[in-house]
Amino acid sequence: MDNNQPESILKVSDLCVQYGTFKAVKEVSFDVRKGEIFGLLGPNGAGKTSTLSAIEGLIKYQSGTVIVDGHDAKEKPLYARAAMGVQLQSTSFQAELKVSEILQLFAGIYGIKLTNEKLSAILKDISLEDAAGKRFGQLSGGQQQRVSLVISTIHNPRLVLLDEPTTGLDPQSRRQLWERIEAIRERGHAVVLTTHSMEEAESVCDRIGIIDHGKVITIDTPQALIEKHRNDPEVIAVSRKGRVTLEDVFIALTGKTVRA
Amino acid sequence: MEETIIPKTSTVLTALLRADFTTLWRNRRAVVMVFLVPIVILVSWKDLVAKMGAAFALSNSLTYGLIAIGLMGYTNSIARDRDKGIFQRLRVAPGPNWTIMISRIVVQLSMIALVTTAIFIVGYDYDKITLTPAGYALTYLTAIVGGAVYLALGQIIVGLIKNPETVNSTSRLVYFSFVIVGIFGGMGMLGKQIQEITQWSPYGTVKTILAAGMVPSSWTMDSTYALLATLGYTLVFATIGIKNFKWNTK
Repeated sequence: MDNNQPESILKVSDLCVQYGTFKAVKEVSFDVRKGEIFGLLGPNGAGKTSTLSAIEGLIKYQSGTVIVDGHDAKEKPLYARAAMGVQLQSTSFQAELKVSEILQLFAGIYGIKLTNEKLSAILKDISLEDAAGKRFGQLSGGQQQRVSLVISTIHNPRLVLLDEPTTGLDPQSRRQLWERIEAIRERGHAVVLTTHSMEEAESVCDRIGIIDHGKVITIDTPQALIEKHRNDPEVIAVSRKGRVTLEDVFIALTGKTVRA
Repeated sequence: MEETIIPKTSTVLTALLRADFTTLWRNRRAVVMVFLVPIVILVSWKDLVAKMGAAFALSNSLTYGLIAIGLMGYTNSIARDRDKGIFQRLRVAPGPNWTIMISRIVVQLSMIALVTTAIFIVGYDYDKITLTPAGYALTYLTAIVGGAVYLALGQIIVGLIKNPETVNSTSRLVYFSFVIVGIFGGMGMLGKQIQEITQWSPYGTVKTILAAGMVPSSWTMDSTYALLATLGYTLVFATIGIKNFKWNTK
């Protein structure tokens, strides 16, 4: 490893995930460094969620290795899971539980002692101090996302995995979430996020990996990706108003066909 | 590199139990329904207590309570939470997966103890039914063993069916089949052969061990066979249910 590079918090090597005979993830390799926001982009069904699920330990992978903060996810799954915080694409919590009870539950299962003062501080930090007694289902989409994100970081993990965290949010809530994600980076932790928003990827991510048909096509910074492909005929063909964007590069690399 | 600390399993289990019991408490209207059917049966069978004996009435109503817990309470809560992705969120935490299910099962076992207690209270209050201390103790034990059959049966349903609506309708169908076959088949109204089949079905064996547990002096070789059959059913149902169970619906 280059000595000037920050240490890798997540190292995925030759990861293969298969459902029956369908190969969803084919020899995917990438690493995510300390203090970095890494975006995993791809069309629907490209293998993003399968890759994240394999890292999170939700699905078994056929081959390859996943190292989270030095722990092999297959050999030491509990240690790997303790080192990461996860926000799933469609997360819900028990509808009967209040926000404060959900926070207590997850603090408990991550082995964190949550005093009333600490709980109040967390709720204040996400501007939900008045919602402690509300049930999760009574919160707005933006409030739910804030609760979900704070739960994924309640144990101060070195790696945070966010699967489409801003889907369905209004622009204000989305911007606020970006700030919170950037705050995680400022603390020196690593973030992996998946998104369909190229604007989000360009604004928030330090590096981007584009995945399609289960394979990583390219990995680089958003600006470097644009520069690298600026003059590709496919990119010029899809670009609009004469300005090349990350979305143009993405569409040129993954094709214009709409995926199911 | 900072040291990664994983929480103790007991800490994880305590947090899960606290949340699951809170959920149960907040769902108390649904819990009342689980209590209602066996109590209504017990009250409406008042005349049968004199004819067939207290153990008959108590064991029948308790069996329906156990079926309701296993098939309606446990099965539907698992199907609903799985569909919402609640299990997946818990599974990415650093606790063993089995703690999630153990917590759910402990909640159901306490429901079994509560329903058993409620039936004892109603039985005493309404029909003046009393058991010996050994009878009470053995009934709690056999209720747990019997309740396990229906929890395992519920596990098969959520193991084989993913859609929560289909799980709900299937569990209701199985529940009412048990009630109908239990009442009519068990009393011989559907013929001798059906009565015999019912007697050795999961309904009949549970009812037999409950009735024998209530009057320990009446425990016979048939009661032991019924106990073994109950344990066998539990083992088979649980194996099929666990083997086919998926943590998510996708």
